Amino acid sequence: MTIPLPWLSVELFACAWILVLLAADLLLPEARKASLWLWTLAGLGICAILLAGQAIAGGHHLIQQMFLVDPFSRFFKALFLGTAAVVVVMTRPFGRHLAGRLGAFYLLLFTAVLGMLVLASVHDLLMLFLGLELLTFSLYIMAAYLRTEARSIEAGMKYLILGSLSSGFLVYGMALLYGFAGSTHFEAIRHAFEVGPVPPIAVAGLLLVMAGLGFKIAAVPFHLWVPDVYEGAPTPVVALLSVGSKTAGVVALTRLLFGAAPTMAGLWTNVLAGLSAATMLYGNLGAIPQTNIKRLLGYSSIGHAGYLLMGLSAGSQSGVEAVSFYLVAYFVSNLAVFLAVTWAGEQLGSDELEQYNGLSKRSPFLAAALFIGFLSLAGVPPLAGFVGKLFVMLRAVESGRLWLVAIGAVNVAISLYYYLMVIKRMYLDAPPTSTTFRLDRLATVTLSLLLLGVLWLGIVQEPLVRQILVSVRP
Amino acid sequence: MSCLPLLILLAPALGAIAIAAVGSTRHALVRRISVLATGLSLIGALWAVATYDAPTGGYQHEVLVPWIRSLGIGFHLGVDGISVVLVLLHALCAFTGVLISYAIKDRVKEYYLFYLLLITGVFGVFLSLDLFFFYFFYEMAVIPMYPLIGIWGSDVKEHGVVRFSKEYATMKLTIYLTLGAAVALIGLLWLYVSSGAGTFDIPRLQQHFVTSPLGMPLQRAIFPLLFIGFGIIAPMWPLHSWSPIGHAAAPSAVSMLHAGVLMKLGSYAIIRIALSLLPEGAQMWLPWVAAICVMNIIYGGFVAMAQKDLKLTIGYSSSSHMGYVLLGIACLTPLALDGAVLLMFAHGLMTALAFALVGHVYDQTHTRYLPDLGGLAHQLPFIATCGVIAAMASSGLPGFANFVAELLVFLGGWDRYPAAIVCGVFGVVITAVYMLRLVRGTFFGPRKPVFTHVQDTRTLFARLPYVILVSALLFVGCWPQPLLRLIDASSRPLVERIRPSVALAKPTPERTLRRLPPPRPHPAPSGRQGHP
Repeated sequence: MTIPLPWLSVELFACAWILVLLAADLLLPEARKASLWLWTLAGLGICAILLAGQAIAGGHHLIQQMFLVDPFSRFFKALFLGTAAVVVVMTRPFGRHLAGRLGAFYLLLFTAVLGMLVLASVHDLLMLFLGLELLTFSLYIMAAYLRTEARSIEAGMKYLILGSLSSGFLVYGMALLYGFAGSTHFEAIRHAFEVGPVPPIAVAGLLLVMAGLGFKIAAVPFHLWVPDVYEGAPTPVVALLSVGSKTAGVVALTRLLFGAAPTMAGLWTNVLAGLSAATMLYGNLGAIPQTNIKRLLGYSSIGHAGYLLMGLSAGSQSGVEAVSFYLVAYFVSNLAVFLAVTWAGEQLGSDELEQYNGLSKRSPFLAAALFIGFLSLAGVPPLAGFVGKLFVMLRAVESGRLWLVAIGAVNVAISLYYYLMVIKRMYLDAPPTSTTFRLDRLATVTLSLLLLGVLWLGIVQEPLVRQILVSVRP
Repeated sequence: MSCLPLLILLAPALGAIAIAAVGSTRHALVRRISVLATGLSLIGALWAVATYDAPTGGYQHEVLVPWIRSLGIGFHLGVDGISVVLVLLHALCAFTGVLISYAIKDRVKEYYLFYLLLITGVFGVFLSLDLFFFYFFYEMAVIPMYPLIGIWGSDVKEHGVVRFSKEYATMKLTIYLTLGAAVALIGLLWLYVSSGAGTFDIPRLQQHFVTSPLGMPLQRAIFPLLFIGFGIIAPMWPLHSWSPIGHAAAPSAVSMLHAGVLMKLGSYAIIRIALSLLPEGAQMWLPWVAAICVMNIIYGGFVAMAQKDLKLTIGYSSSSHMGYVLLGIACLTPLALDGAVLLMFAHGLMTALAFALVGHVYDQTHTRYLPDLGGLAHQLPFIATCGVIAAMASSGLPGFANFVAELLVFLGGWDRYPAAIVCGVFGVVITAVYMLRLVRGTFFGPRKPVFTHVQDTRTLFARLPYVILVSALLFVGCWPQPLLRLIDASSRPLVERIRPSVALAKPTPERTLRRLPPPRPHPAPSGRQGHP
């Protein structure tokens, strides 16, 4: 069998770069290991160039049809690479906590990226499992990376245990689907669903796989790990969990549902709609009493999962388009917030919300970044999150679920409440001390770019919408 | 294509960007930028009013840039006779508000940044002819209120005890308005999807509904969503409770915009979207609306009477007066609708004037509590004069724009809801009671020794905003025809489209009385008749 190099170049290069990072970590003298973040960024950059080189239309099935390279996968691969790049920038201020084991951290980051890249192209249950575990295992280790902190260990443990449980669901569901269709390939499963009859066991299989992916997305009722893991894990890892891992889960779910079970749409759209309502309400109501910003962001990320599921529950291509836009908006807004939180956490010495009192006087730029990021997450124009929410709700109205849109609309107000409570602390309350601080140049530039993206997507949507239209074509 | 709406909209937006770039200690520069930005908008608005061609009617000064083609969203700006008047109102309030804001000394740069964003949002709503951008600017106008009240506002106190903290007031305001917007958004999306036209463009949707009107059950279902959603900001009883508290806690220039213009967004949205796109749903629901309006007028009036805080009094009076506006809309006669729009204009100026005055009094005396005040006419002759003028305008004395507007609402609505009109006229008496009580308690009476340090506005520059507002009120009150001509050019076709029977009615006395041009034949009635 020949390996079609051009279409696999990104993944193959990522594999190679993992080895390079490993070698660099072993061979570089201790003093120069600080430059490893540059190696990681360089690797991501080359991946991006290779990705841009795959200018292709239509889909290409590779490796016995298990792997699908199409515009849709390319779109999200670009998003994953961007996420990883920002996470690398975040590790700069955070680095001293990881000191000594920084090389392995970047290595794990790259394996997680590889897992996400694979997930974007899945067209087979086996590949789905492979990508998901590659991603999740990297995250298990990264979540528990602060070995001296009990909270971080706890976060890693919780994530591991609940993650393994969900993997169990996933594998069990895959086994049932295999038993039903006689193949792990999406096309074969789709064919089996189309021909019918569909036994209850196959439906159970599909639902179990959805449950396994629901864990990645942090949808209710598979969300229990979120608050603790978000609170305890290192902040850059939380950003990766919150943006990268969630996006990968949504992409894989989209691939699975639209690729393998389009004829079962009547079932899964209703399941997703129900989950969406519960997820939005739980996440946003749960965020209100939080006193730790990372926990708050954890609950808010559950709320956002609800909106993503709302878009998918439309069961249409336009619904996927809306979700894609939402994911890009979520990417810029949430990463901006996490970058700011990483810096604030370093400077304030804590992630407790109390520390954020009067932040606008201590670091105006950081406070303004959080202000814009939070308002975008809440869905306020002229920011990216508003457009994402509007698109998703529009598609949900089209699919006739007004009740779901009503819940979504009410949740905009609920989420605005707790975001505004943080903004109130930053702008209205008196700071505990009057010491000021600044960001370094790299963080300032990255954060400014992300905020510019938040504003740009909120005002000029057409280019991205067009890109998505091209990418999501079936 | 006309660049006039772009000038009006972008001047404050660019001003905000410029302020963001300026150093935070350069207060004078920040203020100058703001004056320049809102001044440009004001010139643009005056120009738009002067050049709007009333006999032609319809939407003019249009700008249309396709924005998101796949969804039929376009950046469509333009004005008709109704919105052009409201744009002028907003430009006046914004300009005078910026001048009044010279009293702000703390965090000046941030203040003007949020203030200009608020102004941009409101201009956007009045100028947008696209549902997407309408909602976009609507939400954009709501959010800056949070920091503006939260940071620069003041607690509402009674006997020195905090009754409502500014944090509470601003959060309540923001959440109420966002919830309202969310409800309206459901209605808008539902409207878009069920129209089947695939466009967010308001004029195109209007045309689409002429040939293929929306089914009656849908109209009945969507209208309340839009009405309640936009009605919250109007503010409609019983969802008005955010409003007086918000007024009271806000800094005076923000109260000016809030009561002067922001509340008009609701009634404007009801006219522009709910009435014009859902005519049959409107016909079915409007009698209920009229009943709610009576509650607004009477309840708001009585509560205003019971208040002891100056700003709370004016806040409740605003919610009472907006009842007249909604009543004028609910009557669905050309005359009453003209009156409603003119009342939005008149009430906006009057209430902006009142809040500016109270702001000055509060700045000087550090209290707004009525029993503590008194005799200020000795120290503040100019402010007291303006206060008496505002009270007279508010009570609807002839010579002020409010009188003309309220009279039109009463005349136009008499045939439709006589009982509601009677209650409305009674409401005017209530207004007179609390406004006179307010003026007497604040300005008249013996000179109080505690207020010897109190200073009047002395420079011409400081008096400018008051002079602008008072002269606009008097000018329109004495000669309402220029504005009424514009309003009528748009409100008459709208009412005729909703109730074709009005168009066929006998020549009304008001038409001859006011020497109006004959109504332009509108495509709507003929189109509907031609449709099987």
